[in-house]
Amino acid sequence: MPHQERRFNPYTENGGTILAIAGEDFTVIAGDTRQSEGYNIQTRYAPKVFRLTDKAVLAVNGFAADGNMFVQKVQQRLEWYAHAHNKPMPLKAIARLIQTMLYAKRFFPYYVYNILGGIEEDGSGAVYSFDPVGSYEREACRAAGAAQSLVQPFLDNQIYFKNQLPPPGGAHPRHLPLNDVLSLVIDSFTGATERHIEVGDGLEIYIVLAPNKSSVELERLPGVKRIQGTFDIAGDASPDVTAAAAAVGVTGEKMFVMRRELKKD
Amino acid sequence: MFLTRSEYDRGVNTFSPEGRLFQVEYAIEAIKLGSTTVGIRTPEGVILGVEKRVPSPLLESSSVEKIMEIDAHLGCAMSGLTADARTMIDHARVTSQNHAFTYDEAIGVESVTQAVCDLALRFGESMDNESAMMSRPFGVALLIAGIDEKGPQLYHTDPSGTYTRYEAKAIGSGSEAAQSDLQDKYHKQMTLTEAHHLTLRVLKQVMEEKLDHHNIQLAQVTKEKGFHILTEEELQGLIDSMPAVPAPGAAAA
Amino acid sequence: MDHHPTNWGRPRDDRVDPYGTFPIHARPRPKEDAFGDAVKHTQQPIVTGSSVIGLKYKDGVMLAADNLASYGSLARYKDVQRLHPVGTSTILGAGGDMSDFQYIQHTLDSLIIEEFTYDDGNKLGPTEIYQYLSRIMYNRRSKMNPLWNSLVVGGIKSDGESFLGYVDLLGTTYQSPTIATGFGSYIAQPLLRNAVDEHPEPLTEEEALSIIQKCMKTLFYRDARSLNKYQVAKVTAEGVTISDPIEAPTVWGFAEGIRGYGAQTQ
Repeated sequence: MPHQERRFNPYTENGGTILAIAGEDFTVIAGDTRQSEGYNIQTRYAPKVFRLTDKAVLAVNGFAADGNMFVQKVQQRLEWYAHAHNKPMPLKAIARLIQTMLYAKRFFPYYVYNILGGIEEDGSGAVYSFDPVGSYEREACRAAGAAQSLVQPFLDNQIYFKNQLPPPGGAHPRHLPLNDVLSLVIDSFTGATERHIEVGDGLEIYIVLAPNKSSVELERLPGVKRIQGTFDIAGDASPDVTAAAAAVGVTGEKMFVMRRELKKD
Repeated sequence: MFLTRSEYDRGVNTFSPEGRLFQVEYAIEAIKLGSTTVGIRTPEGVILGVEKRVPSPLLESSSVEKIMEIDAHLGCAMSGLTADARTMIDHARVTSQNHAFTYDEAIGVESVTQAVCDLALRFGESMDNESAMMSRPFGVALLIAGIDEKGPQLYHTDPSGTYTRYEAKAIGSGSEAAQSDLQDKYHKQMTLTEAHHLTLRVLKQVMEEKLDHHNIQLAQVTKEKGFHILTEEELQGLIDSMPAVPAPGAAAA
Repeated sequence: MDHHPTNWGRPRDDRVDPYGTFPIHARPRPKEDAFGDAVKHTQQPIVTGSSVIGLKYKDGVMLAADNLASYGSLARYKDVQRLHPVGTSTILGAGGDMSDFQYIQHTLDSLIIEEFTYDDGNKLGPTEIYQYLSRIMYNRRSKMNPLWNSLVVGGIKSDGESFLGYVDLLGTTYQSPTIATGFGSYIAQPLLRNAVDEHPEPLTEEEALSIIQKCMKTLFYRDARSLNKYQVAKVTAEGVTISDPIEAPTVWGFAEGIRGYGAQTQ
């Protein structure tokens, strides 16, 4: 047998699954909190979903060390941008930035699948999904990670209504309401937890609402917590302040996080 | 023992005891020798206008370029050593394109102005590992016009690397008269055409030659069409449509 | 012309930029060493330590590691301390390559001394040490020249909360109420989780020590690269203490009947 050189492998896989769904005026970004390597559960709580700005949330999945480093570098770039341009970075710009950052490491990639969710400048909900070297597109929904192959077909069926006939004389809805989307997200993860060993322990769901969307119903749900933003002026600001803030890209998006337990076996 | 005042104007990085950088001040003086350049901001867009000095009938006037495009939404007019402006505008263009490449959005007017000013301040230093030095301040002032999410904006930059936002600004040899004229006639709700006419009128007043479509250059940045340098036909049309200016003193009477 | 402002007016050699005023993403990398090709990077560990285990309990954290450093299957050094105090409120436990661990010890000792010389009252706690180690480990793996270790950092944070975290040669990090590295992740981790996760109240020191001892004994029984001589470290509000080497009482009578162990020949 020819001599085989042993080479250090700088990568590993840390399991878990992430998911994002865009509504008409909201976006939901979620991930489980288990981190594993092989058959070992390393920890039951390692967040994979991160708030970037008042209207952008990033979920990272794959090699956890790369993922954490990547999120930190993105956050650093967002801070520099805010200093240089006197406004928070718009979602679309974050998406392009992530592409350039991923592609810059084309030949030693971050072994990470990214899903970016949030609210666009026009107030619509948006999801951007990336491959490890930076290919990206805007979509209505995307699942990634260990249980992608379990969750994505479910979303294709429930969000895009694939293999479903429209009601007689009607059409499929273009967007689902927030409550339906939250149910789908929770069902996706309980399902993935049942059938995939790398998914479980805890579920973190980030919800970003467009400026004019009411949060009353959402705040009544159990385990929902409001996240106060840096540029947050939603709620009781006067119209003058709101208009002035809107002129520099600061609008009244509201962000929430919802935590649920998942099975730990 | 003590250095005399004149010895402080040698080094570009040496302050005088009064705290002045003479080379920078001299560079600002150089602009006052340049041709008059005017910028006006309106809610619809920004107008830039320059006087082209045509000292000889043999000079091909269309070869004098004093207004340049930075990006589709950004334009720039200059006064002073126009050759220096090439370096600055080149930098502004690259910065703007880099921004669009990295962020998939048009760069802000203030940001591109800041980028140009960052460059303007680097005199007396060697650039990166290049052996060439930027030995002196730029001898040119710019009026940078553009549109971003904050609407139409007009910025003025000078050789000290300072920038300021204006509603209307004149630079160059006729700037004093032109600026006071602008101060009189400018109002915030001006239409684009009114601004065109005001630009022409201000230039006409400070120019020695008779204003025509050969010896001026006009440009505009609007939301709909972005940056656009007016053609000679468009210029001629504007000049023809100019309202008659009341004779001096007539308004007072 | 170079249009990147971050590259303007820089010192000729980036390695002598003590202020680091340039955005990192735009910094040019220093040139490769001319003899770079002749430098060989670690491709495998040589003298190795086995598992480290740790848990959080009522008064802080407790860590344990045995005193063996193996050379392949040879039990080469039997009095190696694999628990290292860092500052006054942190303990570091290491498995994997022992020379790399000694390098890490020196690095951290220097760090603590430098911090001490500032004399500003600031102390580096477990979170700071953990972050620092994570960066070193991730950067080394990114240069394809890893420090071949699994590290456990335990301690008490400045707010009085206990801390327990893991870093390894890939830069992978996590925090958890119980941690076990290497073979211990199969043998000790389930025992630790049973004791800690299933317990409604935080463990007392006695309970914590007893489960640690149970884990170390089980590891000695089942891990061929372990030694029945180990130390236990604890970090509490009082500071760091590392025990003298402990031996677990073991029973081998049952083994006499096992083929290949006792006196029987066939």
